[in-house]
Amino acid sequence: MFSDEIKTLRRLGFRHLLLQVLNFASVIASGLMIWKGLGLITNTESPIVVVLSGSMEPAFYRGDLLFLTNPPTERYHTGDITVYKVPGGDIPIVHRVLETHDVIAKKSKSSSNGDIELAPVQNQLLLTKGDNNAVDDIELYQGLDWLERRHIVGKVRGFLPYIGYVTIAMNDFPQLKYALLGGLGLLALIQRE
Amino acid sequence: MALLAAIALSTFVFTADPKGDLAIASVKVYPAKARRYPNKQQEFAFVNFNVSADLTPLFNWNTKQLFLYLEAEYTNAKGVKNDVVVWDRIVRRKEDAVLNVVGKNKYMFRELSSTFKQVPPAHYSLKYNVMPYVGVLTYGEAARTLEPVAFPLAQESVS
Repeated sequence: MFSDEIKTLRRLGFRHLLLQVLNFASVIASGLMIWKGLGLITNTESPIVVVLSGSMEPAFYRGDLLFLTNPPTERYHTGDITVYKVPGGDIPIVHRVLETHDVIAKKSKSSSNGDIELAPVQNQLLLTKGDNNAVDDIELYQGLDWLERRHIVGKVRGFLPYIGYVTIAMNDFPQLKYALLGGLGLLALIQRE
Repeated sequence: MALLAAIALSTFVFTADPKGDLAIASVKVYPAKARRYPNKQQEFAFVNFNVSADLTPLFNWNTKQLFLYLEAEYTNAKGVKNDVVVWDRIVRRKEDAVLNVVGKNKYMFRELSSTFKQVPPAHYSLKYNVMPYVGVLTYGEAARTLEPVAFPLAQESVS
């Protein structure tokens, strides 16, 4: 049943095959570039996030796509929806900020030629809660009392429903992922312009 | 895709900014045990408030829901700025967007230093977050107390 395809491959030759592989690689590379570029602009490690749980229902459902920014100079406000990742937790969590406390942590560092007083560091202690949860997130913080600024991946700015469900489906049914990848790869190799 | 983008962009045309009234009926402070540390004494504040606001103008064809929250804002003696949400509500229909709430705080209201002694008076404000079917999340303030409300001294027992 693949004899036709194999015949065309023979006819096109090895050079053509290489060219298609290169094409495929460039598509993947540009995708990665866009992702990383977006990450640079928005200052987050992942500018687009898929909602994995129902803890923010009815605002966000599983599979919704969120766009994040994380401006380094801006403080977080109550009511902002943040994505955070605490050390020890494996997946990022999307929850709303319930409390903010802007503490001023004075850090002094001693060196060989005396004490160097660093400028007071602004830090924010945050407490979050999922809209659909009854209580706040302290239990999720892996022993921390407050969420700190460095745990936060970003603030939700934009929203696109359901589009991300593809990735959830691929995680739930790995066969689908391989079928899709294989199909795409085969198409890229065989098609000729 | 283009349709989704058009819907998302169209919401920038709607710039409703409704205002309502917020009054703090009473603030009381009681000592209690901290939730995570059973041996630690901590003071909790209890806030009673009245809110009336008509937020129907915020509903347009791309509004999925409103997230309303009442927060207390104060800067304590150490210069720490605090925002604490004491109450919230999700409004999903335009018919429910006329608020007339006589309520009390839904979440624990505590201070970082575990006491409200010498904490300056706090402002309270009602804020909203408009969540769209598709597009950008927007925030706003619907009401605010005119005068800051002081924290009383802790009462010994519930009277």
